[in-house]
Amino acid sequence: MKNRLIPWLMVLPVLALFLSMTIYPFVFMIWSSFRQYDLSKGAETRFIGLSNYLQIFSDTTAIESFKFTAKLLAIAVPVELLLGIGVAFLIRGVRGEKIIRSSLLIPMMVPAAVSGVAWKMLYNYAFGPVNWFLSLFGIPRISWLGDMTYAQLGIILIDVWQWTPFVFLMIYAGLQSIPQDLIDAARVDGADWGRVFLHVEFPLLKPLILVALVLRIIDCLKTFDIVFMTTWGGPGAATHTYSFYIYKVGVSFGWNIGYASALSVLLLLVSMLLVNIVFRLVRMRQQLGFGGEGE
Amino acid sequence: MRRLLVLVSAALVVMAFSAVKISVLCSPDNADALKWLAGEFMKQNPDIQVEIVPLSWEVLYPKLLQDLRSQAGSFEAFTYDVMTTGAVSFGLEDLGAFMKKYPELLPPDYDLDDFIPEVLEESGMWQGKLIGLPFYNNTMLFYYRRDLFEDPKLKQAFKEKYGRELTLPTTWEEVKEIAEFFTKKFNKNSPTEYGIALMFPRTHTLFYMYLLFFGQYRNAPLGIMRHGTADLEYGEYFTADRKPAFNSEEGLKALEMMKKLMPYSPDPLGSDYGETIEYFNQGLVAMVPQWTGPYLIFKSTVGADKVGVIPMPGRSVSGQWALAINKFIPEEKKVAAFKFITFATTKWADKNKFLRFAVAPARMSTLKDPEVRAADPRVPALEVTYVTQTHRPRIPEEPRLEDITVETFSKILVGTLPLSMDTLNDLAKKWQEILGK
Repeated sequence: MKNRLIPWLMVLPVLALFLSMTIYPFVFMIWSSFRQYDLSKGAETRFIGLSNYLQIFSDTTAIESFKFTAKLLAIAVPVELLLGIGVAFLIRGVRGEKIIRSSLLIPMMVPAAVSGVAWKMLYNYAFGPVNWFLSLFGIPRISWLGDMTYAQLGIILIDVWQWTPFVFLMIYAGLQSIPQDLIDAARVDGADWGRVFLHVEFPLLKPLILVALVLRIIDCLKTFDIVFMTTWGGPGAATHTYSFYIYKVGVSFGWNIGYASALSVLLLLVSMLLVNIVFRLVRMRQQLGFGGEGE
Repeated sequence: MRRLLVLVSAALVVMAFSAVKISVLCSPDNADALKWLAGEFMKQNPDIQVEIVPLSWEVLYPKLLQDLRSQAGSFEAFTYDVMTTGAVSFGLEDLGAFMKKYPELLPPDYDLDDFIPEVLEESGMWQGKLIGLPFYNNTMLFYYRRDLFEDPKLKQAFKEKYGRELTLPTTWEEVKEIAEFFTKKFNKNSPTEYGIALMFPRTHTLFYMYLLFFGQYRNAPLGIMRHGTADLEYGEYFTADRKPAFNSEEGLKALEMMKKLMPYSPDPLGSDYGETIEYFNQGLVAMVPQWTGPYLIFKSTVGADKVGVIPMPGRSVSGQWALAINKFIPEEKKVAAFKFITFATTKWADKNKFLRFAVAPARMSTLKDPEVRAADPRVPALEVTYVTQTHRPRIPEEPRLEDITVETFSKILVGTLPLSMDTLNDLAKKWQEILGK
């Protein structure tokens, strides 16, 4: 009996930590999403059923936030994947590979809040280097943070700058792990670089590309810091990301914990749905070798 | 000798451990002055340790709400933006009652009546109780390039173009004309590229910038006739009977004027506090409406002889911060916090924080002080502004009203929403919903 208790006692601290830091907030979020819970008023909370969820569909800012997040997802993530894969292949075997590799990782290591501040300065209308550079080609100054279209483009560019290295790192690591024998064998059989890529490298890298895709989707849905530091969601609601809107509703301006919880639950469901779609579309489970045989 | 050293060391250690430690959360604008005052305070009160913790507006306000609502008591004193008064008031110590309870704690020359009455009312009072002491009596001023306004050639050119003297503007219509004159796109001989630096970004800046324009029309005789006199609790955004006032002819006029000025400003929708300061610093613009604080930056960068300060054309807007005590802390800490916040708002502190750190004064004695008047050209402008400025609401719903308003105004200025009464009526309807009316 005593021996059986010891393992439980050993894991108890971690279990307690897990319950208090993950499970409790999660359950609390679900619970509060069905309640009127407004900290700025300080009144008692009360059960209001699905009202918070229904409110989302008539909340124009929530809908605009959702649209911009979808745009970010649809543009930034594919660009990051293509660039990351392209760069990983391009720098392979190039002179100074190690230096290039290390330099490429720098954007990923910069905290998002810091890169937000830096990009705000880079985008400065009058003195920013971006407009200065464009002026060399005769392009007039652009209001990168004050024009709806350019502000959206600006946020997308920052995301691409910051997260392409992540994709690059994963693919580059994958490339290093491909046995040289396989490539050599293909070349002996007369395959050019295109065939080697298509029939040897790409199939072996596919699981890693899919992992990168899933991680980027999840991360992209949580985009917050860059918007917080650069546009504050403007102009209008053009660059409100969904996560940034949750922050405003729940923390910064609203203190409406109930509504923010409902928005968060919806984000969780959308994230799960998207990831599931990706899994199903590409049959990743089988690729990774942990899918059921019957599937 | 050795024994003496040991005894002194031991005494110091005992003192250090027996000292009451208090944390004071504040906005970065107030931090340097508060740190200096904390140092001076600790010299006089070695039994109290004061730690100043600066936090940005976006972090400070949620932190205050979160801590006060949970009654955690993780800090003892703090500065709060008066626009958040209604939301945080429940967690603030009643200072009037505290003064009655411990009259001996008040500094000997502490004179509540010396505070500028409107400032004490707006910064410190909430529903009849004294809950804060005015610390940072910020207001917006109109800065201009004095050297350009006094240049005979430019004066002549202006007169030839507009048929009147180049005088300091008193209305936004005059500002528009001068801004056009100083914008290269409209006057190729302009010494500056743009006439004026405006900050209309999506942040809460847009909410107070609107009042610079709306205040002029809202407080004109016709505006007063329509909306009544604004009170300090609801401010100029509301009518005297506490209904939205911006969905009116005056409200439309304000936004029209903002739009009219935009062509003469570098990136008005993408620029905030820091950017507009930099535009003026670098000589890109001839005029900039800004808070009291940046004067010191302008003085050191552009040069004191080149920077002029006048009251805001139209109306200014208040941006006050008060010092308060967390209600949910032990009595001994409340006493220490009380000692510090009263020290930091004495006549001596008020004068010195203005002279050393440009923290706007809250006391009449500071404004009248000959040394202060001789040292700082902002004082005459401040005197005029303090009695004419407009105010944002202080009610608990303010942040939420602010957020939806900024979104609508931003869309109007960008052009995705029409500048019409319908748009403003829609916004007013949303306000009524939030206010539960």
